[in-house]
Amino acid sequence: MTRAARWVALAAVAVGLVTFPYWSAAWETSRFATTVLRDMLVFAIFALSLDILVGHAGMPSLGHAAFFGGGAYAAGIASQRLGTDQLPITLAAAVLVAALLALVIGLLVVRSEGIFLLMLTLALAQIVFAIAFQWTAVTGGSNGLAGVSRPTLFGIDLSAPDRMYVLVAATFLVVSLLIWSLMRSPYGRALTGVRENERRMRALGYDTTRLKLSAFVVAGMIAGVAGALSAYSQRFVSPGDAGIGTSVQAFVMVLIGGAGTILGPVLGAGVVMYIQRVLSSAIPVSETVLGLVFIGFVLLARQGIVGLGRAAYARVRAP
Amino acid sequence: MSPELLFQQALNGLSFGALLFILAAGLSLVFGMMDVVNLAHGAFYMLGAYVALTVVQFTGSFWLALAAAPVALGALGLAIEPLLLRHLRGRHLDQVLLTIGVSLVIVDQIGLIWGREVRSLPFPPGLDGTVVLIGGVYPVYRLFVIAFGVALAAVIAVIYRRTKLGMLIRAGVEDAEMLGALGVNTDRLFALTFAVGAALAGLAGVIAAPVFGLQPGMDVDALLYSLVVVVVGGLGTLGGAVAGSVLVGPVDTFGKVLFQEFALAVIFAIVALVLLFKPTGLLGRIRIAR
Repeated sequence: MTRAARWVALAAVAVGLVTFPYWSAAWETSRFATTVLRDMLVFAIFALSLDILVGHAGMPSLGHAAFFGGGAYAAGIASQRLGTDQLPITLAAAVLVAALLALVIGLLVVRSEGIFLLMLTLALAQIVFAIAFQWTAVTGGSNGLAGVSRPTLFGIDLSAPDRMYVLVAATFLVVSLLIWSLMRSPYGRALTGVRENERRMRALGYDTTRLKLSAFVVAGMIAGVAGALSAYSQRFVSPGDAGIGTSVQAFVMVLIGGAGTILGPVLGAGVVMYIQRVLSSAIPVSETVLGLVFIGFVLLARQGIVGLGRAAYARVRAP
Repeated sequence: MSPELLFQQALNGLSFGALLFILAAGLSLVFGMMDVVNLAHGAFYMLGAYVALTVVQFTGSFWLALAAAPVALGALGLAIEPLLLRHLRGRHLDQVLLTIGVSLVIVDQIGLIWGREVRSLPFPPGLDGTVVLIGGVYPVYRLFVIAFGVALAAVIAVIYRRTKLGMLIRAGVEDAEMLGALGVNTDRLFALTFAVGAALAGLAGVIAAPVFGLQPGMDVDALLYSLVVVVVGGLGTLGGAVAGSVLVGPVDTFGKVLFQEFALAVIFAIVALVLLFKPTGLLGRIRIAR
């Protein structure tokens, strides 16, 4: 395929994705499929943001839900306290809170690596979870934050399921394009350099600590966007959104799909959400299946689905 | 806070600390030897409690359950290490990730086999009463937990310092690769270590079940608390696990009385502070592999 043809194909897929509720309307399962696809895309955004750290910058974090949950709570609280459903306001609140959290946590963790980083991010995210879980006056405590209103944008009411979906899908496209171009930019290349050999990058004159911190903040802000979208779609924020379960979920998505790619986290989110939302109603052991799939990928195909696809493609191309 | 209440809370704190020690000792041992933070440790703890539930249902004996659960968990650990972890030796981060998958599978299977509602395990006969201590009534079982924790620490300390196995463990924590080069079968030692870690988690599950009950989510709580203990005390050393649990148990108990809403946040803030300023833990040495 030529470059132009590839772009045309991608654009067609993008248009098909955003308009899904309309061309699938005749299906019996269209409404359910739209809901599942919407939640997949919310988590795809979240997984993509985690992959900036795990895959691109080489910083495995088990605390990414802090930013997802922080964004979700910020959007929900902003809409309730300010009595507004203006998307720019609640989304800005989510991004701002997530960015601040990411800046603080990032400052504390950027000098750590490996298992140590994993545990430090877990502990710090647990503080955010504990606050969400126990500060009942502001967050609703263990009951969560109910009745988050769906947003309006430029006077357009986005509360109908199809419009909510279009908002999520469009945001997903913007975010993936953004991350794709960011990772191809000199900045993204420098991050990859940090992942591959941080000492060498330092020797070349890069301020690697600042690079890693900025990656943390960017990843946190995008996770905050995903959190806000989750709050709008579910009309509910649960303390679990900031909990270790959500962090693990995103990590599993990134690893199953393939870290360090754009397609990988998206595919991973698709597989995990399919198992949790669709397969779970067909068989009772869906979490076991998910665990076994994850174990299989860690053991046998650490590069994820994308890695398997590349290997297969290379074999086909080889003479 | 009245003196009686203070004393009672202090005992509660110590009893929680003793439980934390039993729980964290296994996690610390596995990390010290294998450089793997076993994120399935909470799932092992949970499984231990549910195995005890079944044993008590069929035999009526808590003491049989106290023996059976660690044996069952030890067998599981003995299977998991060679089947899964061994293939990723040297890739510590991937091993940690693998234990996440193990945890997902175990917890889901527990839900299928035993159901997802809250269950309880009765106090063992003889330990279900209360005694009067300094003007207040106090449950005997909590005193038993303290005694059990202290006894276990003593047993582990003797094994550690006085037996050949203990010598191998200390050497392995120091440098497992060198131990292998000296002709010790490290495959067997690692499998055994992982099995003992799992067995200790199962033991903690049985001991905790009469106090905290059995319910979904108990695995996450157990995992987080044991991580807190080993991080604060220092990973990979027995003294670290003791120091961590003796500190975290009372701090958590008094924190819940004093700060109520923010007790959890305080605990994890302490962890973050220790990780940042004394990453070796208060007592231990930590060797973080890439």
